[in-house]
Amino acid sequence: MRPDGRGYRYRRYPCQVVDKRLLIVTGKGGVGKSAVTAALALRAAFDGKRVLAMAMTDDTGLAMHLGIEHLRYRPSHIKSGLDAMVIERPEALNEYLRVQLGVPRIAQLGPLARAFDALASTAPGIREVITIGKVLYETKKGTWDLVVADGPPTGQIGSHLRAPTTVARLVGAGRVLDQTGWMIRLLRDRSTTGLTVVTTAEELPVTETIESLAAIDEENLIGVENVIVNRTLDPLDGDVDGLSDGPAKQAALLHNALFDEQERWIARLPDGPRVPYFFGLHTPPEVAARMADLWGMP
Amino acid sequence: MSAVLITGGGGVGKTTLSAGLALAAAGRGLTTLVVTIDPAKRLASALGLDGLGSDPTPLADNLWGAMLDATRSWNDIATRYAPPDVGPRLTANPFFEAATQHFPASQSFAAAEEMTIHIESGQWDVILVDTPPSAGGIEFFTSPARMRSLIGGRLLKWLTGGSLPGRRLVYRFTARPALRIADAALGSELLEAVADFLIDLRAAYDGIAERSREIERHLSTAHKVVVTTADPAPLSEAAKFFELENGPPEFVVFNRVLPESWYHPTSAAPSPFGDNLVRWGTEAHRQAEARHRFSARWHVEPATIPWQPQTPSDLEKLELMIDSAVGLDLDRLFT
Repeated sequence: MRPDGRGYRYRRYPCQVVDKRLLIVTGKGGVGKSAVTAALALRAAFDGKRVLAMAMTDDTGLAMHLGIEHLRYRPSHIKSGLDAMVIERPEALNEYLRVQLGVPRIAQLGPLARAFDALASTAPGIREVITIGKVLYETKKGTWDLVVADGPPTGQIGSHLRAPTTVARLVGAGRVLDQTGWMIRLLRDRSTTGLTVVTTAEELPVTETIESLAAIDEENLIGVENVIVNRTLDPLDGDVDGLSDGPAKQAALLHNALFDEQERWIARLPDGPRVPYFFGLHTPPEVAARMADLWGMP
Repeated sequence: MSAVLITGGGGVGKTTLSAGLALAAAGRGLTTLVVTIDPAKRLASALGLDGLGSDPTPLADNLWGAMLDATRSWNDIATRYAPPDVGPRLTANPFFEAATQHFPASQSFAAAEEMTIHIESGQWDVILVDTPPSAGGIEFFTSPARMRSLIGGRLLKWLTGGSLPGRRLVYRFTARPALRIADAALGSELLEAVADFLIDLRAAYDGIAERSREIERHLSTAHKVVVTTADPAPLSEAAKFFELENGPPEFVVFNRVLPESWYHPTSAAPSPFGDNLVRWGTEAHRQAEARHRFSARWHVEPATIPWQPQTPSDLEKLELMIDSAVGLDLDRLFT
């Protein structure tokens, strides 16, 4: 424990998910966003909640950390209390057309869906509205105590969170417009919905985190639940200079240099949970399980 | 002339390595251009890249840099390769920017186009391209084909009609029965604007398709460097490059490598530093196992770069980083 009491903050449960129904997780590529999503979902399931883990853009990371090959659009059972799915475009589009726009099933086959998909790729926000709309729809419908979404990376999170507003402005009329109001309300409802930003204590991820936090705050897109710092090192006590040359000294020097560098970047972030660097862990499911265990500690 | 593509998953150090390699090439007296995407501030200021535009700017002796500006690239692509009357209308369309950003592999295609322009200029001995982070850079190689199938695809033909009629087609467009529903969903004003855009885009197909084949040719003759760390996600991204049709990458670089000599299954004497060595040694061992598995699976001899505690903050540190690399054949890379 460090004198300023900042050490071991990661032992704290990172998200007060007890009172949230939806957590969207974002972060720069490579920081461990999917690992944190999987761990949050596992933790909540261990705590007795009915949880849905959703991959919003690409299922590779989430599937890997849940220890399965691929996710499907239909939720598949992972373990007691936990289901997982990926938002795939054709299926999500069909469901959007049917459930939210009231298009009859017959018209969803073939041409219309393809045409709509082409339009969705052209007009800004429509594709994102279908994705974020599915996440919000799963939250609204009440099957799950908690939905944890492995969101797009920090670079694209804004366009997703903003999508219902973008579309509302763009589409002057029509049923798509009618569906944006409840989405915006649910996203902004801080008692229900929160954003978790994952970062490592390095320059680019921290810079991106700070930039997206500022944009989200300015536009009031969503309540930020927390910023989780992944792969943090704890300080090493003792006099490194007194060591004789050799691997122990080299390892201590690298450790201290990395630690100092991390502290520089952590100092710029809002206070929040830290996840330690897991030395020597081999597989993604091991990493997610270890994180979930850690957060369960009193 | 050597074109070098630096690819790999997110957060593995592609941009830093691109900069280091560019500096090494320039140091050999080769006229070098590095095209980068989104460098860290510290790296950018190390290279003098702050406020760099998309045109090559001198950075050091023999070294020029350019930043990729995908929006500008797409404007240029539309202007150059679409018919003269269509290009300006395309770029002026309110959907143009959003749509080109949404195209699959859009940023990659823009980067590949920039690379091709610089190759064709004949000005450079070495061109290094730092690839966009999406999909680990793999879509860089598939982007020309994907662009052709998007713009020339059956869907767009179906939407805009078999031949390319005049702009009156917009009205036929909304008259199609299936689209009446889309009309109810989106409103006819939006639908017509989108239809306008798609018709113009299709008119640009021939020019863009022809260009994409030239880009493909240059991509296939470029040197491919795959950067990875020993972590599972970047490793699985790196493996994808070996399944590409246009041949496996010639260079694999493992970044953030710890010395294997640190690994000892048991601690000599229990002390904070001894314990610290054990855990870093365990990590070094995990890395070495992952590296050996990768090299056996794909029959490659990877180069390694030792773990740097921070992003190099000046040119000297960038040079030191490249000097510390083991097994990186720069002579082969730059010819």
